[in-house]
Amino acid sequence: MLLAQISDLHIKRPGALAYRRVDTGAALARCVTALNALEPRPDVVIMTGDLVDQGDPEQYAHLKTLLAPLKIPYYLLVGNHDDRAALRDAFSDRPELRAGGDFVQYAADIGPLRLLALDSIVPGESGGDLCEGRLAWLAGQLEDAHGKPVIVALHHPPFDCGIGHMDEIRLEPQAAQKLATLIARYPNVERVICGHVHRPMFVRFGGTIASAVPAPAHQVALDLREDAPSAFMLEPPAFALHRYDAATGLVTHHAYVDRSEGPYPFYEPEGTLID
Amino acid sequence: MKLAPVPITLTQCAKTFRGTRVLEPLDLQIGAGETLVLLGPSGCGKTTTLRMIAGLETPDAGGRIAFGDEDVTALPIEKRQVGMVFQSYALFPNLTVRGNIGYGLKIKRVAADIARQRVDELLAMMRLTAHADKPIDQLSGGQRQRVALARALAMQPRVLLLDEPLTALDARLRDALRSEMNTLLRELGITTVYVTHDQAEAMELGDRIVVMSAGRIEQIGTPRDIYYRPANRAVAQFVGTINRLAGERRDGMLSTTGGAVPLPLRGTPGSAAAGETELFFRPEDAYLSDSASAHLRGTIESAAFLGERTRLTIGGAAPDALIVDVAGRVELARGTPVGISIAPDALIALS
Repeated sequence: MLLAQISDLHIKRPGALAYRRVDTGAALARCVTALNALEPRPDVVIMTGDLVDQGDPEQYAHLKTLLAPLKIPYYLLVGNHDDRAALRDAFSDRPELRAGGDFVQYAADIGPLRLLALDSIVPGESGGDLCEGRLAWLAGQLEDAHGKPVIVALHHPPFDCGIGHMDEIRLEPQAAQKLATLIARYPNVERVICGHVHRPMFVRFGGTIASAVPAPAHQVALDLREDAPSAFMLEPPAFALHRYDAATGLVTHHAYVDRSEGPYPFYEPEGTLID
Repeated sequence: MKLAPVPITLTQCAKTFRGTRVLEPLDLQIGAGETLVLLGPSGCGKTTTLRMIAGLETPDAGGRIAFGDEDVTALPIEKRQVGMVFQSYALFPNLTVRGNIGYGLKIKRVAADIARQRVDELLAMMRLTAHADKPIDQLSGGQRQRVALARALAMQPRVLLLDEPLTALDARLRDALRSEMNTLLRELGITTVYVTHDQAEAMELGDRIVVMSAGRIEQIGTPRDIYYRPANRAVAQFVGTINRLAGERRDGMLSTTGGAVPLPLRGTPGSAAAGETELFFRPEDAYLSDSASAHLRGTIESAAFLGERTRLTIGGAAPDALIVDVAGRVELARGTPVGISIAPDALIALS
């Protein structure tokens, strides 16, 4: 079972640049090509929020056009740059986006795995939260999973990463604490996957591992000072490939969108290591 | 030798000669102690700008030039406290080295002991002490150029103005003097305006470069800005060699004759739209790579061995032939198929 996770696409309307600089549309188009070309091809792509830049219908229409060539089934989550209603309107063919009532949250079976997609957004705010209602939904879903391996997905990381300006807009610590307590009761939770921070990260959380992924376009500057200014870097675009098998669990690979030089052999044709 | 540097401000300075506007209204701020290079082809207005700062030309009505807080627009050259060096040096052939350097001090009736001390200091600084009493015609081109510079500095100017001072020298000497001039300007810390059409000089000497063409400023920036982030095609083509990749935006790539390259994440407004587009890159930002994983495939059209590097001309990779610089030791025959990849941050989108 192979799951690709991409996040923080920040799509604008065609021809517009994010932050006057980043061609996020071209970046996603290239990421889609890279995903389609993967061998073996992933079974599913999970997109953990900030699908567009301002929750605008025109931006969602552009997102839909850019995702049309993707030959892999995919799941969408909302992030703080998204708008629930505009997302649902643009992707009216996706019933799971409407399944959660007020929230864009749903459960989906991916082979042996169960994906529990959470809605962590607070409209108008950059930071995230989980109200009692959303936590209660998750508690019910975790119970329903009956020991099936679970991946919990949400846009906002429930942990401090050390990049000051991102920690100010993380998941509310109180909600994160409740989430950790809840997840700790279910050892079948393989992973909590997030976006938002535009960087690969891993941390112990609620007895499992929480992780975040880089973005297909711009990355948040790796600046661990408390007063780090909010800034982005045009580092190589990347995503995560989560490989699952029952014996090992979930192994996460960091994958680059753009092709590098190679592959070159380690060994001579007759079998000796190349000196 | 310590000089007091002064900032220079040009406000809306235009120049018209006999009804022809040779310089469009220009605004320019030069920091105290900064070396600013005016770079451009002949006729671009760089020398006219320098001559206005010197006081040898007056800007059209409405233009204003200030040294610090002092408006010098109406001051003639001799009252501006500027030192100037010309391409032709304009040394006095009948005077010795010492006589040339001390000429201005003598005219100004500076006390003999002070004048002598200052000339000695300049002779030492310019490594001319051993030649102090030689006549000018016994000096080499490089030595004459240093005499001209010493003479310009003798009056302790507020501003140093250099008009193609190295152009008359042969290439080898020019390279050596350029580096010497750089060290000297840094030591003096004097506000310097340097005019040249030679981009290598501009790159080495300038804190900032003003690229001019047809009486206008095309771009102002540090040498790195000008080279790696040229404002437009005119600047990109004037400064160094640049390759053009024309093709179509498709799936986040620029698709062209011999393959496709990833579009830079950093776009320019409008460049994010689909359709025909073009990107540019410098010859040293591409490298030969395994054909299967290369961005582009092409064929060697020619290989010029230049010593430290070999300059390849590659056809078939893009509509225009591409120039790629590789290590000098690389030997490739005409007709050899090659793969070319381009460093991801090296692609430049230009308007």
